[in-house]
Amino acid sequence: MGGAGGGGTRDIDGNKADKKGKVSGKITVWSWDVAAKAMKRLARTFEQRHPGTTVDVVDIGYDNAYDKLTVGLRAGSGLADVLTVEGDHMPRYTANFPSAFYDLTNLGGRYGGDFDRAAWSTVTGRKSAVLALPWDIGPCALYYRTDHFRAAGVDPKSLLTWDDYVTAGVRIKKATGHRLLIQDSTDAGILPMLLQQQGQSYFKGGRVAVDTPEAVRAMTLMKTLHDKGLVDYENGWDGFVTGTKEGKAATTPTAAWWTGTLTDEMPELKGRFGVTPLPGFTADGTRTSNIGGSTLCVPAQSKNPRLAWAFIEFLLTSKANQVSMLKHEGLFPAYLPALDDPYLSAKQEYFGGQAALDVFARLARNIPPVEYTKDDAKASDIMISTVNGVMLRGKDPRTALDAAARQIAAATGRERVK
Amino acid sequence: MTAVQHASVRAHPARRLGRVAVWLFLACGAVVSLVPFLWMAIAATHSTSDLFHSPPPFLPGGRLLDNLARLQDTIGFGRVLLNSLGIAVVHTALSSLISAMCGYGLAKYRFRGRGLLLGAVLATMMIPFQVLLVPLFQMMASVGWIDSYQAVILPFLANSFGILLMRQGFVDFPDEILESARIDGSGELRTFYQVVLPCVRPQLGALVIFTFMTQWNSFIWPLLMLNSEDKYTVPVALNTLTGLSRVDYSGLMLGSLLATLPLMALFLLFQRQFVAGLLGGAVKG
Repeated sequence: MGGAGGGGTRDIDGNKADKKGKVSGKITVWSWDVAAKAMKRLARTFEQRHPGTTVDVVDIGYDNAYDKLTVGLRAGSGLADVLTVEGDHMPRYTANFPSAFYDLTNLGGRYGGDFDRAAWSTVTGRKSAVLALPWDIGPCALYYRTDHFRAAGVDPKSLLTWDDYVTAGVRIKKATGHRLLIQDSTDAGILPMLLQQQGQSYFKGGRVAVDTPEAVRAMTLMKTLHDKGLVDYENGWDGFVTGTKEGKAATTPTAAWWTGTLTDEMPELKGRFGVTPLPGFTADGTRTSNIGGSTLCVPAQSKNPRLAWAFIEFLLTSKANQVSMLKHEGLFPAYLPALDDPYLSAKQEYFGGQAALDVFARLARNIPPVEYTKDDAKASDIMISTVNGVMLRGKDPRTALDAAARQIAAATGRERVK
Repeated sequence: MTAVQHASVRAHPARRLGRVAVWLFLACGAVVSLVPFLWMAIAATHSTSDLFHSPPPFLPGGRLLDNLARLQDTIGFGRVLLNSLGIAVVHTALSSLISAMCGYGLAKYRFRGRGLLLGAVLATMMIPFQVLLVPLFQMMASVGWIDSYQAVILPFLANSFGILLMRQGFVDFPDEILESARIDGSGELRTFYQVVLPCVRPQLGALVIFTFMTQWNSFIWPLLMLNSEDKYTVPVALNTLTGLSRVDYSGLMLGSLLATLPLMALFLLFQRQFVAGLLGGAVKG
């Protein structure tokens, strides 16, 4: 009788040795977009390997997926057996619903070393409990227009630092008239990417960290880019895509999944793009960062957690499956052994014969882990207006970040790092 | 007399000018409301990649059939459309009947606590939908209705707005007619269906259009309730076309375009009813 209602997370199976590998029954999996597509495809393989099982993958759409998850978690029922949650959303759920997910430490803990450490840090909760397995990540690099660079006589390999990047930008603009990058004015632009490149997010050790020297450096760089007229402002994701398609900017510093957008929406630009590591803040500094990435977890209300875990394990800890999801759906694996596959070093026609995936594969191992909190959304709203204040209304980066830190501290009740 | 005539003659050109201004104003309004629709139709005939050109295409392209095939392939559009249609029709029929009956009861029957009941119906309008989500969800889960059509249809059948609308329609209905119907030996139900209901056709028509449209466009509740793609309604299915870094805009536009057709058909159908109700006159001696 005892134990019911006691907080904390539960393990999936106490006595797993005796019935190891034997799973049966049916599970439902919720996901969206290409991730759902990938799972629908591989669920058939899983069912063949485990006769007597059914894996039903449902595309619940991305836009309101979290509403559906939140209501199900709050109601304590009605959720699927496996949920897709983006890595940066996990802390919000584990903080607000501390016992809502199965503890996968005993089953999945041993895979810790096989996953990208930045991604792994998103799935481990308090006391290093493993609450999900990482799926994909978004290692960052610099996409550049080979034709613009050639016309300006700039060698993309020479862009070792962000200072080099600015200098090259001025030259490219002079020679070709194209600006250097597009900024979506509805979000914080490259700021989160620049912060993670330096090993931090908006918070550090639970305290507000938007006015650290690293943050000031990032914001100053963004202001310089603006002041030299190198930034083309567009509204929203669609504006960003349209601007790139129209060739308004010579580079896009972003994550590996951008390749999918390029090949889908701009097939006519085949052969015009190349990929090189991000410029660093110092010549020997980190040359990458991360944008996006998701995880799979098992809610505590699942009736068949063993099958749920078996499917997650099958999908995410198999080199062949991870490579196949990269190949077919463009999901960049957080599972490091998959990065050695020959597919990643193959030349890509779209990039004029460059092995672009190889650039990302090399960078993926060096992504600095950062901290996500349940207050990220609040901080993000404040930082968007701070970025616009500095770039468009000419505010001083240091003063603006100081004000932002004060606002975030007040809004979240957290202390400041400084 | 002459002064009035004089004035009306003099006012004539000014009035014509005024009318032209009104027309111009209305024309602008028409353009503003039609352009998004036109863009939806044009976008439905292009590939998504073409839509990202600037300036975007102004003429229809040749990809309509491709888009239609893809829509059917990715979200099973035919099936989804039928789901939406079935849910909306059943919901509208039941909900309108319930609203009419409740409205009639509240307007025409005198009983203890009527004012209180009316107040309670009014009060439910002030409860935000978000507050209801979780309890309603738990109710549906506890009766095992998650992922079923009835979970989408039933919880919102008693619609306070509809009840109040119908009540207002019935309040002015002369009691004398009800009394004469009773004297003629008509039962309460028969009086309701054959005498009263036909007289409130305008309100009923408006309510049907309103209820159908609300259910047809309803998104959050069906999204929460339905967990199988073959049970999805149109808005829930179209939502899956929006991904993290990819949006199938041409599919989305085509789907939205096709989804407006049943609404328009309904509106045209009931608009006539609307007018007929108005012209028929409610009370004849």
